[in-house]
This record gives sequence, structure tokens and C-alpha cells, in this order.
Amino acid sequence: MANEHMTAPKAGVHMRVAAPSAIAQARAQDASSAAFSSESQQPTVLDVQHIEKVYGARGSLTRALTDVSFTVRKGDFVGIMGASGSGKSTLLNCVSTIDSVTSGTVEINGADVTRLKPAKLTRFRREQLGFIFQDSNLLDTLTARENIALPLTIGRVPAKDVVRRVEEVAGRLGIAQVLDKYPYQMSGGQQQRVAAARALVTDPAIIMADEPTGALDSKNARLLLESFEAMNTTYKATVLMVTHDSFAASYTHRVLFIRDGRIFTELRRGSSTRQEFFERIMEVVAMMGGEGSDAL
Amino acid sequence: MLCKIALGNVRRAGKDYLVYLLTLTLAVTVFYAFNTISMQVDIAGVTEQNAGMGETLGGIISGLTVFLAFVMGFLMVYANNFIMKRRKKEFGLYQVLGMGRGQVALIMALETLFVSLVALVLGIVLGLALSQLMVFFTASLFKTQISNFHFFFSLGAFVITVGCLVAIFLVTLVFNLRVVAKAKIIDLMSASRKNETIKTRNPWLAAVVFVVGLVAIIIAYVRLLRDGMPYDGSPEGMTNFLITTITVVVGTILFFFGLSGFLLKAFQATRGIYWRGLNMVTLRQLSAKVNTVSFSMAMIAMILFLAITSVTTGMSLASVMNESVERGTPVDYTRCLVYFSPANIDELNANQAQWDAEDGVESGVVYAAATAPVDMIAAGHADTIQEGEHAGEPFDPSVVSDDYLQVNAYDSMPRGAERPLVTLTDLCQAVNKPLPQGAETADPTSQGLMVMKESDYNAYLRFRGMDEVKLGSDGYVLLSDMGGSILDIYDAVMREGVAIDFGGHTLHPVSNAVNVDASVFQNAMMGMNAGTIVVPDALVDEANLPLYYGYLLVNYADDVSVEEGDAYMSAHRTYGDVTDSTGAIVAGWGVEATRTNTYESVDSMNGLISYLAIYIGFVLVLACAAILTIQQLSSVADASPSSRILSELGCPTRTICHSALVQQTIFFLFPLAMGIAHSMVALNVITRLVELFGGFDIAGTVAFTALIFVVAYGGYFAVTYLMSKGIVRDAVRIRHAV
Repeated sequence: MANEHMTAPKAGVHMRVAAPSAIAQARAQDASSAAFSSESQQPTVLDVQHIEKVYGARGSLTRALTDVSFTVRKGDFVGIMGASGSGKSTLLNCVSTIDSVTSGTVEINGADVTRLKPAKLTRFRREQLGFIFQDSNLLDTLTARENIALPLTIGRVPAKDVVRRVEEVAGRLGIAQVLDKYPYQMSGGQQQRVAAARALVTDPAIIMADEPTGALDSKNARLLLESFEAMNTTYKATVLMVTHDSFAASYTHRVLFIRDGRIFTELRRGSSTRQEFFERIMEVVAMMGGEGSDAL
Repeated sequence: MLCKIALGNVRRAGKDYLVYLLTLTLAVTVFYAFNTISMQVDIAGVTEQNAGMGETLGGIISGLTVFLAFVMGFLMVYANNFIMKRRKKEFGLYQVLGMGRGQVALIMALETLFVSLVALVLGIVLGLALSQLMVFFTASLFKTQISNFHFFFSLGAFVITVGCLVAIFLVTLVFNLRVVAKAKIIDLMSASRKNETIKTRNPWLAAVVFVVGLVAIIIAYVRLLRDGMPYDGSPEGMTNFLITTITVVVGTILFFFGLSGFLLKAFQATRGIYWRGLNMVTLRQLSAKVNTVSFSMAMIAMILFLAITSVTTGMSLASVMNESVERGTPVDYTRCLVYFSPANIDELNANQAQWDAEDGVESGVVYAAATAPVDMIAAGHADTIQEGEHAGEPFDPSVVSDDYLQVNAYDSMPRGAERPLVTLTDLCQAVNKPLPQGAETADPTSQGLMVMKESDYNAYLRFRGMDEVKLGSDGYVLLSDMGGSILDIYDAVMREGVAIDFGGHTLHPVSNAVNVDASVFQNAMMGMNAGTIVVPDALVDEANLPLYYGYLLVNYADDVSVEEGDAYMSAHRTYGDVTDSTGAIVAGWGVEATRTNTYESVDSMNGLISYLAIYIGFVLVLACAAILTIQQLSSVADASPSSRILSELGCPTRTICHSALVQQTIFFLFPLAMGIAHSMVALNVITRLVELFGGFDIAGTVAFTALIFVVAYGGYFAVTYLMSKGIVRDAVRIRHAV
């Protein structure tokens, strides 16, 4: 965030010229990647249609989201980027049923979560969604093993399955050696990977990650993102990740850019390398920052 | 401005302050209501004699109030510490914003003041109401009618209550100011983060500690049941008792230190339970908290133990007296005469000679052993009445009575003998029973039974309107009006037909059991006849037994009212010597009592014990429950982030609340269960001791005690659960991204 604000004024003038070409390039890439990708054959996991979110009472309304629509297919790894206050966290909260929408529909695996009653919603969240937060949000009284097992025991999965699945997921994410440690005995990166394992262990329809690398140094951030890639490739896990970090976003297949509560644009990685994708993301970020500063 | 902040804070931190306020209010209520006791006694129309008791009671209660105020003071400091700990960051913020420490301290002092004032007002209002109601309770305790009920306010009680509250306030304030004065801003600001570090103990070690604690408790129980109470005060007994006490205290502390670790290990071993729902979260949170609260849990268990034991014992003693008082007052008036033992005569005369020599006078006082019974009516003429319409006259019960009787009892130790003819030890051996608790270490030579002639006893039975006994030439009966263990022995002796060797004659019982009602020779609150054997007249003369006791039993004449009779008997008088025909002093006067004042003593004693038991018990239970409530609420609040995470992981709020409930149940139930367990063992031993004095029935009192506990303790438990439900709901409602 600080980065954006620092670079924005300098880049502003330059970017106004560059912007159209970046967008055009992005659109072109879209078309090519759609043709190239096999995603289209996968079933739709998440279908967001025309959602709006308005906060506040009469007289002081804040429009956090305006007519946002997108779909995510199974096995997809989608990033959501935007400046702070752009509405990206609100979008994630609405999609992940933690917050309610004002209008529009959010369908996960064909079920419209905006119409679910609170009790059913709890169950739905437990069975269909996995969460990873900026601060790992592990229970500090539980060991890593117990933290990962928590969603399963809440869901009343038989004990022997619980133990087996925890070991398996932990092995995949490279945290088998910390299973019997408490959160305060682990590094931040290990905590985040434990949180990732906890999100993954129920085999959810979609994993929601909110700034998962936000509190990590670059080395641990990379380790975590590699874990995400592993989740995505080996478990075919569908991941929706909110981030403001272009580096983190470059690990995804697709990035949605949010500004002022709307989808500003979308980038697809297609066949490009992570490095190329990173540069394209940077261009869009710089352009958005530039226009933002210009508006000031 | 500061005032405004403080008021706002109290309103905002209302939930934290609620328990504090509730406890302080209840304390004020109870303090005020119980301290009005002397005024209540007046209104309840208690008679003059008992009014003295009311004042005594008032004195004891106000002393006790100071002590309980100390207990409450420390409880409040403790409660307040919890509130302060949670608000360190806020106090740091005030300082960062440029407020001086003095100002911050003032805010805190004002907050405490507001809460204390509210507690005072509420407490006094409730106390006023409670004290009006208690008048009826007092009246029923002292068995009087309320003749002139009116609303009353006791300034004395009010002053004592305010004084205690001010003391509590000042103590709390000093501790609070220390928090602000000592703390660095950086510590205050990072307090919330600091509190999050959790020390964990190795669960295996904890499980071992638990088992060691449990074993120590069991050992202490066994020791206590085996050794009993050190009533004889022997150094060895006291040492043993001390070891038992230390064992049980240490055992209790270890038990609670290891409890959660043990539960954790035990449940981890059963995977199906551990890996199910929030069970592991519940157990882990328990074991994380136990470091901070295990010591207070142990202390609460011990306080509850003390409260339960003292309340139950006190109430039971009262009920024993209540039940035995009717049997214990066979006639309107009794007087005892205690004969000097022949063995002591020489010593008495020697002492008298020495005093005479020291004073340089010739008193002419000579002591002698009585050879024939003294006529107690005649001997009473030496007393002179000092007040009332009969002032100046010699004391003569026949003035108010035409129906009286003198009963003589003899010592079973023959003149010049080394050993009594019949002892309790002999009887116990004959029926193969152990000596009763409290009598086992006494010298067998001091355990001789009292002896009574058949003719004297039959005269007594005729006087009481009961059937006479016929002993023949070799019969005996045993008498006692004491309860439990001693009575069991005498009953067994008679039932089994034990032959007793009485100075060379073998005697056999002529009945199967002790007639307790026909064993009472004096008016008393509890049994006084520890054991008497009635034998044929000739045997007493032959055995050369010295006189022991004389009992004078008097029933007032039909035309003399109880008031008139009591007035005559109770009038203050001077006492004369009890002499034989030669003028030698042979006996001293013992206890005298009318039926009325025995009853009054019982009622007063009952009132006294009930009041003290309820007062102490209630305040102690209140303190324990309040500590638990505050601990639990603050731990639920500390666990708010966890509740939120659980909710986000798809755990229903109901389940999270349930987990909190399980933890609270454990925290409330285990100390209570432990306290009850300790009490049951201790009461078992105490019961055996008290049984010496009469039947001991604790069922009714246990029910009453239980009611107090359920209301106070259960009330706090309910408050804890309801409030923690609210805290969990609030925690869940907050979205993580805000």
C-alpha cells in the first residue's frame, strides 16, 4: 500500500499515456488465454452476479460494491487486487458469507448463499468454504495438529479419519514437523501454512484467502505461495485470494482488479511465465494508482 | 471532564463492573441486615433474659462483620484487578494523549467511587427490606410473637456498613493506584498483546501431579477417619491432626493444579471423544487457564469446605439441643448438690488451714465426707433471698411447691479403693465395642459409673409418674440420657444380659434397653447423665460407697403459676454452706435451673448459632462464587478471538456457548464437589464426637444449608453463563475484516 502511494505521483503523467495500451494488451491476453486454457471445461464453483453492498443508514450511504459479477471454475486460482478502500475485502466477505449483500446473487456449487438462513449458512461455511486470513487466526491454546483438525471435528468427522487427513495435508504443505507445536512456537510462515492446511483439510469447494502474505517477510511469503500452488495443483483446490501485493498476485491464474467498488479490469496469466505475469500486473497497478492520484 | 470520562467508562465497562457491583451490593445488604440484630430482637419482643443474648449476638456479629469486610475487601481487590488488567491499554492511551498519572488515577478513583456509591444505595435499600423481613425470622428463632411491628432503621448498622464499605473502597483504591503508578506506558499499551502468551505445562506432568494430589487427599481422609479429632489436646494427637490437615491442603492444591492435565490426557486417550466437536478446544482452554486459576480453585474448595462444615455443624448442634430440651427438662426446677470425695477431704482441710494461717484467723471451717445424705431442702435454708417480695427470707422451695423429691447418687469408687466397681471400659469390653470417640484415652479410674439405690430410683420413677423397677436381689438397670455411641454401649450391655460383678455380687440386667426418658435428673440443654447403674439398696451400703450427687426435683404447686415459681427460684440470693450434723462442710451447691430458663437458653443458643452460621456461610459462599464468576467472565472475554475464529470456521454459536458452559461447570462444580467431599469426611468425624452429647441429625440442616448454597452459588453460576453467552455472541458478531 505504502508502495503505491509513493510511486503514484511520479508515475501519474507517464501512465496516462501507457494506460490504454496496457488495457488493450490485457484484453488481448484474455482472449488468447481463454482459448488456450482448459478451465472452461471445468464446472463453475462460484458464480457472482450483479452484487451490490451498501453500508450505513439513510443520509450517509456508502456504496462499497457496485454491480460486481464474475465466475470461478473448479481448480482456478484467482487473485483480487485493489487499493485499500477499493472494496476488495468487502467483496471477499460477501462472497464468503461472512457479510451479507444488499442485492445480487452469490452461487457456490449451485447454491445461492444470499438466501441461506443463518443456521444453514454456518453449516454451509463449514462444509464448502475454507478460510485463510492475514493473521493466521490459529487458536493459540491448540497445537498445529489440533488447529488443522478443528474444522473436521466441528463437522463431526470420525476420529480416525481426522487424524489421517490432518497428517496427509500437513505432509503436502511441508509442516509435518511442527504438528505438535503451539502457534507461538512457530514462525509466521509456518503459522500461515498451518492455517492453509486448516482451510484445505475439509476439501472445501473454494478457499478464501484474505491478504495471506500481508504479515510475512518475502521468504516466508514465497513459501506460502508455493504451498498455495501445491494445493492448487495436487488437490485441484479452488482458491480466491485477496491481496494488494503484485508479487503474490503473480502466482495466480487470473487477477481481478477492483476500484471504487467495481471490477476495473481482469488479467489472465495464460501461458506466460510468473515473471511476465508479474510485470503485466505491475503495469495495471501503476496505471490504477496513477489514475487514482490524478483524480485527487 | 474527568468525572464525565469516569462515568462514561463505568457505563461502557458496565458488564465488567456488573459482577463487581452485584457482589458489593449483596455484601452491603447482608452487612446491614445482620447488623440490625439487636434492634430486631427488641422488635421481635424477646424477653429480658434473651435480650441480653441479642446484645451478645449483636456484638459478635459486628465483630464478625469487620472480619468479613476484610475478606470482601480482598475479594474486591481481586475482582478489580481483573477489570484493570483488561483496561491497561486504555490507561496507557490516556497517558499518551497527555494526561498526567494523577489524572488517570483520579479517573480510576472516581470510577470506583461511583460503583461503590451505587452499591451502597442499592445495598442499603435491599438491606432495609431484608432486615424488616428478618424480624419475623428472628421472632421464630427466639420463639416469640411480634407484638409491635414497625419499620425501623438502625443507625449503628448503617455506620458499620458504611465504615466497611469505605474500608473496602480505600483498599481497592490503593491497589488500583499502584497499577497506574508503577506501570510504564509501553507496558500499558502492549498489555493486551502480553496477556496472550500462554504458558503450557507438560500434560503428563500435570496428570502425575493430579494423581499425587488425589492420593494425598485419600490418605488424609483415611487418617482423619482413623485418628478422629484431637479433642484430648495431646501433643501427639495435635501433631497427627496437623499432618492430616497439611496433607489435605497440599493434596487439594495439587489436585487442582493437575486436574486439567489429567482430563486432557484421559480424553486424549479416548480418541473418539477428543477429536469430536469442540471437546479438544474445551480441554485445551481449560488447561491453559488452570495455571492462573488452579490455586484459587483450591482455595475456594477449602473455603467452601469450611463454610459447609461450620454451617452444618452449628445448625446440627442447635437442632440437637432443640430436640433434647423437652426430654432434658423433666420438672419445673432442679438443683444439684455435689458431695466432696473422701479422697479430697484431707487436701481441702490442709488448704483451709493454710489460708487461715495466712489470714491469721481461726475460721473454724472443717471439711468432711458425708456419711448420710444431706436434706437439700433444709440445707437450702442457709441461702438468703436478696430481692423480690421474699427478700430477706431463707430459700425454701416448699414455698412454691408441695411436690418435690430428692434423689441421691453414689460414686462407684468405694471408700479407700483404687478402682471403681463398674467402669465404662469394663462394659465396652464385655460387649466387644470400642470406647466412644472422645473417651478412649481417658483414665479408666475416672470412668466409673454413678450408682443409685433401687429405693431412690423407684421414688424418682413414682415422682415422674412412671412404672417402678424390681431388681430383686441380683438385678441392675443402666441409665443414661446421652446420645449415640455411649447409649449404644449401655443398650448392648442390657440386651446381651451382661453379668456385672458388683463388690463380689454378680448382677444381671432386668430390662433390655436404657430408658432414656427415665434417666434425667436435672434440667439441661443436653444430656448430662453419662451413665448410672441402679442396684439393690443393700449392695450400696455393703460396698461402702461415698455419696456423689444430690438432685432436688421440684414441681410448682397447682396454685403457683410458672411465672411466680420462676420468680421465686431465680431471685438473686446468697448461698450458705452445706453442713452435716457436726457442722462440717460436706458438699457444694451445683447447677440449678428452671425449665423456663433452660428453654430460653436453648432458644437463644439456637438463634445465635443459626445467625452466625447463616451469616458466615452466606458471605463466604458469596465471595467464592463472585471470584469464580469474575474469573470465568474475564476468561470468556479473553477467548473472544477464539470464538470468532470458531464461528468463521463454521461452528454454530450454540456449540461455542456450550463449550464455555462446560468449562464454567467444571470451574464451579469441582471446587464445590471437593468442598463437599472434605466436609462429608470431616462431618463424619465431628458427628461421632457430637453424638456423645445427644442424637445428631444432620438431614434437615443439610437440606437448609444446601438451599443457601444453591441460591447463592447457583445464582452466580447462572449469571456467569448468561453473561458469557452475551460475550460470545458479541465476539461472533464482529466481522474479522473490520
